[in-house]
Amino acid sequence: MNCAQTHLHKVELETKDYKTDAKPFWCPGCGDHGVLTGMYRALAEIGVDPNYLVNISGIGCSSRLPYFVRSYKMHTLHGRAGPVATGVQLARPDLAILVNGGDGDGFSIGGGHMPHLARKNINMTYVLMDNRVYGLTKGQVSPTSQRQMKAYTTPYGGVEEPLDPVLYMLTYGASFVAQTLATNVKMTAQLIKEGMEHRGFSFISVLSQCPTFNTIDDAKSFKGSSEELQDNHDVSDIDAAMHAVNMAHKNGKIPVGLLYRQERPTLDERMADLVKQAGGHPGYDLRKIIDLSRP
Amino acid sequence: MNKNDLIIRVAGEGGEGIISTGDFITQACARAGLEVYTFKTFPAEIKGGYAMYQTRASAAPLFNQGDTFDILCAFNGEAYDLNRSRLRPGTAFVYDGPGGDFEPDVPEGVHAYAIPMTKTAKEMGSIKAKNMVALGALSQLFDIPEQPLREIIAAKFTKKGTTVLESNLNAFTRGRELAAALPKTDSWRMTAPAEKRDVVVLSGNDAIGLGALIAGLDFFAAYPITPATEIARYVARHLPKRGGTLIQAEDEIASLAQVLGASFAGKKAMTATSGPGLALMGEMLGMSFMSETPCVVVDVQRGGPSTGLPTKHEQSDLFMAIHGSHGDCGRIVLSVEGVSDCIALTVEAFNLAEKYQCPVLLLSDGSLAFSTQTVPYPEPADYPIVARKAWDGKGEYQRYVITDDYISPMAAPGTPGGMHIATGLEHDEIGQPNYTGANHEAMQAKRFRKLDGVVKDFAPVEVDGEGDAELGIIAWGSTIGVVREGIARLRAEGVSVKGFYPKLLWPMPVEQFEAFGATCGKVVVAEVNYLGQLAHFIRAETNLRPESYTICGGLPFTPAMIVSKVKEMLR
Repeated sequence: MNCAQTHLHKVELETKDYKTDAKPFWCPGCGDHGVLTGMYRALAEIGVDPNYLVNISGIGCSSRLPYFVRSYKMHTLHGRAGPVATGVQLARPDLAILVNGGDGDGFSIGGGHMPHLARKNINMTYVLMDNRVYGLTKGQVSPTSQRQMKAYTTPYGGVEEPLDPVLYMLTYGASFVAQTLATNVKMTAQLIKEGMEHRGFSFISVLSQCPTFNTIDDAKSFKGSSEELQDNHDVSDIDAAMHAVNMAHKNGKIPVGLLYRQERPTLDERMADLVKQAGGHPGYDLRKIIDLSRP
Repeated sequence: MNKNDLIIRVAGEGGEGIISTGDFITQACARAGLEVYTFKTFPAEIKGGYAMYQTRASAAPLFNQGDTFDILCAFNGEAYDLNRSRLRPGTAFVYDGPGGDFEPDVPEGVHAYAIPMTKTAKEMGSIKAKNMVALGALSQLFDIPEQPLREIIAAKFTKKGTTVLESNLNAFTRGRELAAALPKTDSWRMTAPAEKRDVVVLSGNDAIGLGALIAGLDFFAAYPITPATEIARYVARHLPKRGGTLIQAEDEIASLAQVLGASFAGKKAMTATSGPGLALMGEMLGMSFMSETPCVVVDVQRGGPSTGLPTKHEQSDLFMAIHGSHGDCGRIVLSVEGVSDCIALTVEAFNLAEKYQCPVLLLSDGSLAFSTQTVPYPEPADYPIVARKAWDGKGEYQRYVITDDYISPMAAPGTPGGMHIATGLEHDEIGQPNYTGANHEAMQAKRFRKLDGVVKDFAPVEVDGEGDAELGIIAWGSTIGVVREGIARLRAEGVSVKGFYPKLLWPMPVEQFEAFGATCGKVVVAEVNYLGQLAHFIRAETNLRPESYTICGGLPFTPAMIVSKVKEMLR
């Protein structure tokens, strides 16, 4: 990483310093506990100053996470964490932006926003906590649910094919795409850390089991079907990343690790260039603009 | 007869240069020191269809588009057909002929001038010059100041090269010659003003963009929508000069989401849309109110419901502006009368949003959006700017602490010790989720009671006229300008009538509505919608029981309509 990490104000803190007094409300055995632990570790390892960290979420079980992280934070609307975070980031490129949310939040109701976070390369880290089910509304199929899942509104089994969030984000041009399991806290922490250090839009999909409403995707089955990327996987090669995901699909596997990383200008950098070109500064005389409207 | 108030309508096929001809006339009049007020209609489609541009010019201040035109310039048969009923005795009528696509059957008493616009332009080598031939003829016939026109044409075409410039100027000159050869039978003439004032000429949409810049706009997000998009165009051009940020969002939900994010981050932020976009923003407005995150939302209203009449005028989003969101959701709603308001009230919208930490909606409308008007030069320093209440850094920070005025101090990210959550969940004073009945009642009261000060900030509401009157007219938005002129005419005839012109529509200045009503025998509310939306709120919130006078034909009221309605009511 050769870019200046201006979006990461650093301090020396320990993992516990990122915890708030609020106690996580998730069920025992929920993968989200593991994601949170990994997140604490990543923050401590980087040494992110909580005063310059904004943790943003939408609605769902996983979207409660910001309440448990010492930072500035926004608990927004269902599906809208991405665009809210975009506003924070563009307005204040000096802040570290960490978004987290579930599969329904990000890929059903909020699915229309994801391509734009990716293609615009908004400098933020998006941690998907994918349990392949709607938890907070008590167990309906989500866009990542396996088709055969019997659930709240699919008593005879589901009829829709799932989508794959990592393939989706690779397709739309995310500049950092990784996948891991909530049970692998070490890898989760490492990938979140790398994602936050990456300048651009980083997407980390964490498969996070729901022991209450999803019996077909439990921690054991996630672990059993996960497959680490090969040692010689080239993270700068988009074709290799796509190929790895497609091959894993064919074999009924879940690829884990860093799939893809690309260095390219972020939207806030491009906008800063634009301001520079316009000779812009906050003290620019408004009268010069008003004078253009004289008859 | 010299008339100190002339209305010229140029009409034809979209793409024939109707709009630029109108713009040239408008700019030249303004440059010569005249007041201008323009009115345009155009089709929802990009190519073809009927387009119309009307310029009203006067040495005296103007408040509306007028009743009808004094001079019609028809580029084609459709323009003639659509306007023929308005060709009354005394009207001047300039048309394309011979060689045009129609032969008019000129009504008696109309002064007709045949100018072979198409034929001349073709002879001169380019049909594109048709509008320049027309412009030259109009300039000659009605004393539209020639020198300013030549300067403005030169300014527009110089960058396209000398050949283009020359051919346009030649066509303009030829138009003047053709007109000079005709016997002048009408007496319409532009009257030059006694003195020039320091003015700017802006459309309603551009003026909203300027108002935002004056207010200190840092961040603008929007999704393209007619008739609001020119606000984004203006801001896109000028905000980078001030170091600010503009983003075109993927939809209106995202644009307001981005605005709230930027506002949370400590910046002044706004979006601009029309009715369909505002409908999508409903949930996010609730988030703004609940999380007490300031935002400014401009709604340039168009004909609805649904896709409706995208390029037409209507004032039918008031219900949605005031109550559009789930739950009990407060906000401040302002509306603008003319271009001058578009500047001043946009600044005011930011001031109110920052002060009260809530959504502020600014309602404009389709005809004002594209109406260019002369307004006094807006001196930026003349507009007071209000900053949000900031945390002083002392003690333990509580984002939603209940204070004497119910407004809690804010802390932007990066403020040491100011960490907090902005949340749409019901919460206590520190922002923790809290669903107890007592807490919800206390926090709803906090969020609503902080708005108690708004009416006072905005008093007094303008009352047009003194003492008692037989009839009072209440109007909002650009209808106010029409009512002003209607009332002036009625008064000149000795009719006892008053006007009430609220710019703050929510919270409603109830006492002032009632005080106005107490001085009037009857009250009528004139507005461009089907349901009588402001009248509905007046009946619900005040002791007044006004009559409702509504139209929704895609066009604004005219002063003559107000005059005849009042006479009918007093008969």
